[in-house]
Amino acid sequence: MERRNFLKVTAAAGALGGMAGLAGPALSQGAAARTLRFVPQANLANFDPIWGTQYVVRNASAMVWDTLYGVDEKLAVQRQMAEGEEVSSDGLTWTIRLRPGLKFHDNEPVLAKDVVASLTRWMPRDPMGQMLKAIQQELVAVDDRTLRWVLKKPYPKLLYALGKTNTPICFIMPERIARTDSFTQISDYVGSGPMRFLRNEWVPGARAVFAKFDGYVPRQEPASWLAGGKRVMVDRVEWHVMPDPATASAALQNGEVDWWENPITDLIPTLKRNRNIAVDIADPLGNIGSFRMNYLNAPFNNLKARQAVLMAMSQEDYMRALVGDDNNLWKPLPGYFTPDTPLYSEEGGEILKGPRNLDAAKKLLAESGYSGQPVTCLVAQDQPITKSMGDVTADLLKRLGMNVDFVATDWGTVGQRRAMKNPVGQGGWSMFHTWHAGADCVNPAAYNALRANGDGAWFGWPDVPAVEQAVAEWFDAPDLAAEKAVIGKLNRVALENVVYAPTGFFLGYQAWRRNVSGVVKGPLPFFWGVSKS
Amino acid sequence: MFAYVVRRILATIPVMAIVALFVFSLLYIAPGDPAAVIAGDQATPQDVERIRASLGLDRPFLVRFGEWVFRILQGDLGVSIFTNLPVTTMIQQRLEPTFSLMILTLCLAVTIAVPMGVVAAWKQGTLIDRAVMGFAVMGFSVPVFVVGYLLAYVFALELDWLPVQGYTAFSNGLWPWLENLILPAIALGGVYIALIARITRATMLEVLQQDYIRTARAKGAGQRSILFLHALKNAAVPIVTVIGIGVALLIGGAVVTESVFAIPGLGRLTVDAILRRDYPVIQGVILLFSFIYVIVNLAIDLMYTLFDPRIRY
Repeated sequence: MERRNFLKVTAAAGALGGMAGLAGPALSQGAAARTLRFVPQANLANFDPIWGTQYVVRNASAMVWDTLYGVDEKLAVQRQMAEGEEVSSDGLTWTIRLRPGLKFHDNEPVLAKDVVASLTRWMPRDPMGQMLKAIQQELVAVDDRTLRWVLKKPYPKLLYALGKTNTPICFIMPERIARTDSFTQISDYVGSGPMRFLRNEWVPGARAVFAKFDGYVPRQEPASWLAGGKRVMVDRVEWHVMPDPATASAALQNGEVDWWENPITDLIPTLKRNRNIAVDIADPLGNIGSFRMNYLNAPFNNLKARQAVLMAMSQEDYMRALVGDDNNLWKPLPGYFTPDTPLYSEEGGEILKGPRNLDAAKKLLAESGYSGQPVTCLVAQDQPITKSMGDVTADLLKRLGMNVDFVATDWGTVGQRRAMKNPVGQGGWSMFHTWHAGADCVNPAAYNALRANGDGAWFGWPDVPAVEQAVAEWFDAPDLAAEKAVIGKLNRVALENVVYAPTGFFLGYQAWRRNVSGVVKGPLPFFWGVSKS
Repeated sequence: MFAYVVRRILATIPVMAIVALFVFSLLYIAPGDPAAVIAGDQATPQDVERIRASLGLDRPFLVRFGEWVFRILQGDLGVSIFTNLPVTTMIQQRLEPTFSLMILTLCLAVTIAVPMGVVAAWKQGTLIDRAVMGFAVMGFSVPVFVVGYLLAYVFALELDWLPVQGYTAFSNGLWPWLENLILPAIALGGVYIALIARITRATMLEVLQQDYIRTARAKGAGQRSILFLHALKNAAVPIVTVIGIGVALLIGGAVVTESVFAIPGLGRLTVDAILRRDYPVIQGVILLFSFIYVIVNLAIDLMYTLFDPRIRY
């Protein structure tokens, strides 16, 4: 073919393609109103809430899979797929009955054997599940709608374990899917919840789409977080992943998306000025900032060195670095539990209160025997929260007279390196920064970061038997008063030993267009009850 | 000619093999752990270890490399550690947006930059020449993301002419496809336009001083004919070379542009995969980019023969 002919053919093909395209379908206004476009906090890179326990996976999964029980906005556990339960007088045998009419997305009924398989897959991945597994004697389906769980010792927090918002949530999947090993990813996404996951429209890193499941039978009670009637008011929920906050902000202002889960604080004034956009706190349970000091390596294998850092640190410095001048977004936190929740305690929190005493901290550090060895401080620069806190810590340690080895890296590297128990200088580390969702810190149930069982503990491997004793007492506490008493003690011993350093409590905003209604505050975005005009 | 093309295509095999070995080795020694990312922040070290084992990441380098090469030879790039989707599927999902962006940018850049360079050379030393060169300096100096934000602010937020972000497939219509790509293509094309315009100007200046141009003028050829028929064709070889080299520039620039305009292309896929240490995806995408680059270079070499009949392979 000659060049000219080739060009003519190419141009003609382009024009034809274009004409065909111009005749393409357009989204009607009605259809647009039935589609909710949402910008999530992160990319939905996988879709197995047991295998991958990232919050974004949990948030998407909550639409697709239902739970036996669900925590409501008062942090009380309510029945969800469960119609009712009986517990034997010795507290060892639980019998749970399913609601009638429950269906999976393939229209197969939800049976007790599906629940048994789902519980079995969930247990190894969840701290409370692991405790249950350790004391489990029998877990069987008695009939299609009834299962029996026999334990070797009472576990009063069982219903909370099955209904909590902490990841991994105990989602109910069909038996054939739930038989997959807990450490192997599933590839079949048939759910039990109010929305179906449209796998063929999933473009990881860009888009995930969920469609209303007409066969879902909601409860009659009003929706409240994971509990109550999960009534979906739109046909589709589209997640549009936008790595750049400025783009997400512009898209929201331009009406190209309807709801943005986590706008950054810098952009909030711009969004607030737009009369088409509503801005409010996203999650009243917020987050707890933290850095963890390594109990295995000097200098933080010495209690006095850890206490010196705690004594010198200013939570206000950390929080200002995170949220700027917006005083609505942070609180000092002289403790480890989420503020404004029933178990919140400041017992033992004096070391974090009042004016900071750098001289006393230096003296304490000297008493610890610190002699200028390097303090390897891991800081993920690709996470704004850890980057900000890392900068404050580096300055703090220098003012204390420590020899800071500031390792500026990315989260993937921190994730790998923090697991290394080697000495500093051989790949090991002294401290790293992170944060915990406030929902995970309302009690010790799923609070890995507070555990202090040495080798079995979270990174940093604190070994404080008194902390473990208090956690065990909480699990056995019969009522709220007893729980409060135990939590006060736990807070004190954990702070005395500096299980980790809390840098403060902070909140985040969410923003949505005013033609969207029903957005609620919560530890995750709840899509039921949200409509669009 | 045919033998040359076959020889060049066969030569891509060792090149790709070296790229494969290099990429695999680099990822092996690079810090980071996908198992830790998968397990999430609250996972225990034991959880992370079990996930690492289930993904086969605890096996020796040679075993993993051997398996990977064996699969590639069968046309299988593997499965993403995170999404559980075949890497080929993930790449296919992202090819159209990136290629659309690159082709549109390329067309836009060549259409604008070549005449700009020609005119600048023709009007050497005048205000027009200075304006073109000033634009070129600005094109080099202003980062893509700054241009992107400014364009989105003016044309999407203020004027409401074009969307801020996203991508619509070509199958949904020419205008929906185009309206999502205009701003990204302009943003990405800035550097490219600057590069081509400067090279075009410099080459044209050289060619315009050749004897045969004076002869053409003496024979009474018009200015347009001299510039575009006589001079530009002879200046084309270095310009085409720069256009080819610029494809690498486009691939790099696409990463930023796709992030700023939320285009679900290969650039974002690469960055996401790197940040998560999704090794099969990183390896697959880099192999693809290498292959594209090799093929573009081959195409450029072949195009030389169109512009300069003296070149024969």
